[in-house]
Amino acid sequence: MNVLFGSPALHALVLGVGIVSALLGVTSYFIWFERKFAGRMQSRIGPKHVGPYGLLQPIADAFKLLIKADITPDTADRALFNLAPLLAVCVALLSLAVLPLASGLVIADLDVGVLFFLAAGALTVVPTWMAGWGSNNKYALLGGMRAIAQSVAYGVPLVLAALVPVILSGSMKLSDIVAAQAGGHWFALWPPGPGLGAGVLFVLASLAEGNRIPFDIPEAESELVSGISTEYTGMKFGMFYLGEYVHSLVVAALFVTLFLGGYDGPGPDVLALQLLWFVLKVSLVSVLLLWVRWSYVRLRSDQLMTLCWKYLLPSGLLLVAASAVWVWWTEQGGSR
Amino acid sequence: MSVIAPLLDALRTTIRNLGRKPITAMHPFEPRTRAPRYRQSFALLHEANGDEACIGCKKCEKICPSEVIVVGTAAKRESPATGKKRGWADDFTLDLQACIVCELCVQVCPVDAIVMVRVPNAPGFEREDLFLTMKRLYENEALPHAPAIGSSMIASHNPAPASQAQAAAPAQEPGT
Ligand code: SF4
Ligand code: SF4
Repeated sequence: MNVLFGSPALHALVLGVGIVSALLGVTSYFIWFERKFAGRMQSRIGPKHVGPYGLLQPIADAFKLLIKADITPDTADRALFNLAPLLAVCVALLSLAVLPLASGLVIADLDVGVLFFLAAGALTVVPTWMAGWGSNNKYALLGGMRAIAQSVAYGVPLVLAALVPVILSGSMKLSDIVAAQAGGHWFALWPPGPGLGAGVLFVLASLAEGNRIPFDIPEAESELVSGISTEYTGMKFGMFYLGEYVHSLVVAALFVTLFLGGYDGPGPDVLALQLLWFVLKVSLVSVLLLWVRWSYVRLRSDQLMTLCWKYLLPSGLLLVAASAVWVWWTEQGGSR
Repeated sequence: MSVIAPLLDALRTTIRNLGRKPITAMHPFEPRTRAPRYRQSFALLHEANGDEACIGCKKCEKICPSEVIVVGTAAKRESPATGKKRGWADDFTLDLQACIVCELCVQVCPVDAIVMVRVPNAPGFEREDLFLTMKRLYENEALPHAPAIGSSMIASHNPAPASQAQAAAPAQEPGT
């Protein structure tokens, strides 16, 4: 493992603090952007009054959340209730550890990087269920149970989708996966078929894991008040919100890493340029995800399960088989 | 497939909207035209002879579905204008926070003392902004009124023949 600052521990600390704080800043402005973007899609203006173009809105929101009453219901399980929002953010941030932002710029380039972020992704259900159970509220409980059903179901296609780049590159290390796509051989484009299919599958499954619209049935405002976050106020609610947005940014980054060549792009291999490519691609994918999010209505629970078990799971298996055949064929002397 | 086409259609609609101008009306910072029956806040009226019209009968307090009106009834005493004994209200509060703008309070008032006005008291920045005290209600008297008044409403609900109903309705006109 190559290390930028002295020991691996120091390297992880410096990069970790840097990346996490940068991401939290980016997230708050990502929320501002989403509000503007969604506003325009619905013929509204979006944030407007705080600062020019509402640019100071995230700061105002943070202050508002901080000064709100912090209520813990009498019947709630205090420990679970208070721990859940914290964990929600931490778990969402976990996947960052293995994400290569540029060559060498990664907190911990694990040999089992793919396995790590899949495990971290599967953990998101734990704080969700803690909140659902700990709130001692029927809506929160129903939301939590829905979240578990959804997460268990969509974890399977997520794993299958992430397996495709692993098979194609022959490694579970994210930096190796990026290296295998160097020079424009992005998995979303080449081999035609399995890569792109797996990419779409990956996005759908991770949106569902992160409870984002159109898969936000654990929150389902129209049925469950606010689902798992019903009893949360102030900053604790804000942390769930933050966790959700961090998760969606991390999903975009993982998608870029696995299927769009990560930091690969035209130009010399300098750190700044690689970082620029990475940020550009992640922004593009995030905007695409926002577009999808603000175009669709929420799926019903049964539709959600149908989509997963009847369509996504079989197509995931097919894609994995197809990519295995592709690898076998190229090794037999086929062209790349 | 029948699913794909609507999915793409939704994406097309939203992306097309992105290029359009927002239709947001910047109310309350810019004035906007209101519908003829638009009404928002309340006023208490004076009679033509200068007396406060409200007789403190509490009908509005009782009918209000949100129970936001509180009337303090005073003892009967002579009117300084006519010299006749009549009822008075010495306190009247209306909390706009929970008012559902059903106008029932206006409809039951037997003396046309309470009317709705066309100038909003909401939105406000504090809860007190939405709390109409008796003083504020009488201050609102100068604002433009909504067309409905109690006596005309009571008359229109009266099962008696139209000719008698007309005669039974109080002849009072609401103040300006
Ligand atoms: S309009 Fe309806 S809700 Fe509002 S004060 Fe009158 S009776 Fe009550
Ligand atoms: S406003 Fe009308 S209904 Fe209400 S107490 Fe006064 S007289 Fe009675």
